[in-house]
Amino acid sequence: MSGVEENSESNREKALLSWVQQFAPYGVLTLDPSFRIQGWNHWMETHSSLSVKEVIGKSIFAIFPEIAERGLTPPFERASNGEATVLSTTLHHHLLPLSAPKHEGGQDLMRQTARIAPLLSNGAVSGIIVVIEDVTQRERQAEALIRQHRRQEILSWILAHLLKSETPWKSMRQLFFKVAEHLDFDSFVFYLRDPETGVLTLYEAGGISLHAEKDFENYPLFTRLAQSREITHFNSIQNSVESDYSPLKNAGLASAVGVPLFANDRLLGLLCFASSSRDFIATDESDLLMTIGQYLAIAVDREKTSELLVAAKDKLANHAQDLEQMVEERTTRLQETITELEMFSYTLAHDLKAPVRGMIGFCNILLEDFEKELTPGVRRIVQRLAQTPHRMETLILNLLDFSKVSRQEVPLSRVEMQPIIENVLSMRGNEVRMAVTVNSGLHAVHGNKELLKQVIANLIDNAVKFVETASPAKISIYSEVLSENSPSTRSSPLLFSASEASPAVLTSVQTEGLNHRVRIWVEDQGIGIPAEIHQKIFGIFERGVNADLYEGTGMGLAIVARAMQRMRGTCGLESELGKGSRFWIELPSA
Amino acid sequence: MELTASQNDALTELINIGYARAASALSDLTGHRITLEVPEVAIHRITEIANKLEKMLEGEVASVNQVFSGPITGNAILLLDREAALLLNRLLTDRPDMTGFDGAAREVITEVGNIVLNACLGAFGNLLKVQVTFTVPSLQIESVEKVLRSITIHDQGLEYALIIQTSFHIRVNNVSGYLVIILGVTSLETLLAELKKWEDRELA
Repeated sequence: MSGVEENSESNREKALLSWVQQFAPYGVLTLDPSFRIQGWNHWMETHSSLSVKEVIGKSIFAIFPEIAERGLTPPFERASNGEATVLSTTLHHHLLPLSAPKHEGGQDLMRQTARIAPLLSNGAVSGIIVVIEDVTQRERQAEALIRQHRRQEILSWILAHLLKSETPWKSMRQLFFKVAEHLDFDSFVFYLRDPETGVLTLYEAGGISLHAEKDFENYPLFTRLAQSREITHFNSIQNSVESDYSPLKNAGLASAVGVPLFANDRLLGLLCFASSSRDFIATDESDLLMTIGQYLAIAVDREKTSELLVAAKDKLANHAQDLEQMVEERTTRLQETITELEMFSYTLAHDLKAPVRGMIGFCNILLEDFEKELTPGVRRIVQRLAQTPHRMETLILNLLDFSKVSRQEVPLSRVEMQPIIENVLSMRGNEVRMAVTVNSGLHAVHGNKELLKQVIANLIDNAVKFVETASPAKISIYSEVLSENSPSTRSSPLLFSASEASPAVLTSVQTEGLNHRVRIWVEDQGIGIPAEIHQKIFGIFERGVNADLYEGTGMGLAIVARAMQRMRGTCGLESELGKGSRFWIELPSA
Repeated sequence: MELTASQNDALTELINIGYARAASALSDLTGHRITLEVPEVAIHRITEIANKLEKMLEGEVASVNQVFSGPITGNAILLLDREAALLLNRLLTDRPDMTGFDGAAREVITEVGNIVLNACLGAFGNLLKVQVTFTVPSLQIESVEKVLRSITIHDQGLEYALIIQTSFHIRVNNVSGYLVIILGVTSLETLLAELKKWEDRELA
């Protein structure tokens, strides 16, 4: 290579270096072996605010005395011996103290990675080159990523915690400690809003002295803040002249952020985190708090709603229980009253028997012993007088029967109907026996023999009694089997179901599992009963129309109804005026 | 090619001198007491080392590579497996949540490699009483095979590899790696001859 070529080669390299220095996005400076600055690119001028003229020919250590103070001269010295060095930002932060773009709350020195290397010329070290890379943005981004990662951890922890909790409003202290592990907060205040009065009440506070806490109990600034629905920052509190800030100041706080808690557009409370050591809370921190506030609000809302629901359910359940108890008490009282009344009627009937007998006795004495002394008129009167106690006695006996039916023990068993009817007829006169036709093959029932005798006797006597004057009675008795769900037993409007029967008794009838029921019909061709009194006639002392024409006490059907009720059966009738009546009784099939 | 027992001893001692400087620099930098140890030194033909290293370092490795030139010329590489590199990074920087090679982590590994390689090669330079110059270190995260291929591609004169097993002791942890110095035959002979002279001087 000739000298000229060598020279032009060298010139080209110099031009290239100069070009790179000027436009590289790095700080490039070159030093001579005595560390005097030889080259200083545009980037260096911009970031150091030192022009080429100001630095050229001066020692780098004179311009930046910090290099020596921080013990960073060896890499330069080694470079002049041929060694190349890399200085990482993690271990050194920076090589030269240059300023970085301002960053909220962050460092204001540029973070750098530096490379210090020998410049070679013909195999020998002719100088040193230093290349500085600004890694501030990269590091800030990396830190932001780490912070974001931590925050996500906090949020998922908080979310999990709130989901598990049945009383999320009591979790605030734990949530605060979790947040304070990563963010520099040292106190919190937490308000809940009373949904009825709308008043914001201090629920819990942490990191604030009890004395200072009192100021927060009723703090108009926070009430306004909650209603504003906006997240609010309080920076440099101690330097503030706002009179509103005195509770914050008194608590020794330097900065705070207040987050209103909203769920479904309803204000639930207010959460405030604060620091006593720093004057400024970064936006990404308050974003985190806002998210926590949202989580908390939703959790509180959910649990408060379900609490209300549970309370309402409890109230309803209590009410139902009260109602049941009330019904039970009333039923018991009713039963007691009925028992007392039955006792009273029994005693009354029983005690009336003696004086009635007395009256009959004295009438007989008058008619028999003083026959001759009585004028015919008087005798007629005495004879009629003697009839009255007879009727009264019948009435009393019926009353005693009714009472007996109501009171006596009723053991239930299989009963054949045929013998019962025969037994009843055998005690009636010939006329009655002739009037009654009994179908053969009557079904057996599950009932009580004595009560059934009484029932059949009353029905037959009834049928015989209520016939057109002078026309002979015609009565037929037959039975049929009804299936369990036969509509006639369920929905017949004529069904007489004793209203005194407690629901429990009726239920037990239905659940006895007897699939079939037997209905025994007693049919006459008598005067009939108008539909409007079908229900009524089974009541005690109730009598049909034209009652005056027919003898009777009005007790017969009442005894039937009561007896059927005691046997867990039912009774009823189908009848039309003038077309006869069909009375029926129904019992489980046996 | 095998090193004689005395060559091995001399080489180990020389590297230890270099490593003492590296350990001291790393300790100053991190504020933790760090020591470096050389359990084993061996020399191999370059064609053999890929197999040997792949057995010891599986998968991706972090390699810091510096070319040196002067009276002896070659390539120096610090090889750390992925886990060792990340552990070293965590121990040196107190960044417990580091799990990957971000920009900062790559630079830390580069700087550590740079310190170790400079110290070791500096010791050779001192021995030979010559100036060896270095390029700026570069970091690769690749398989051993690719790292070695990228080195040998550039220089046909490289024939031998000095493999220096290296252990970092930091706090109670050990991190192991390999320092590989690849040399041409002339450079190796120069190195061994100078080593012999140095040994003789030390004994004298």
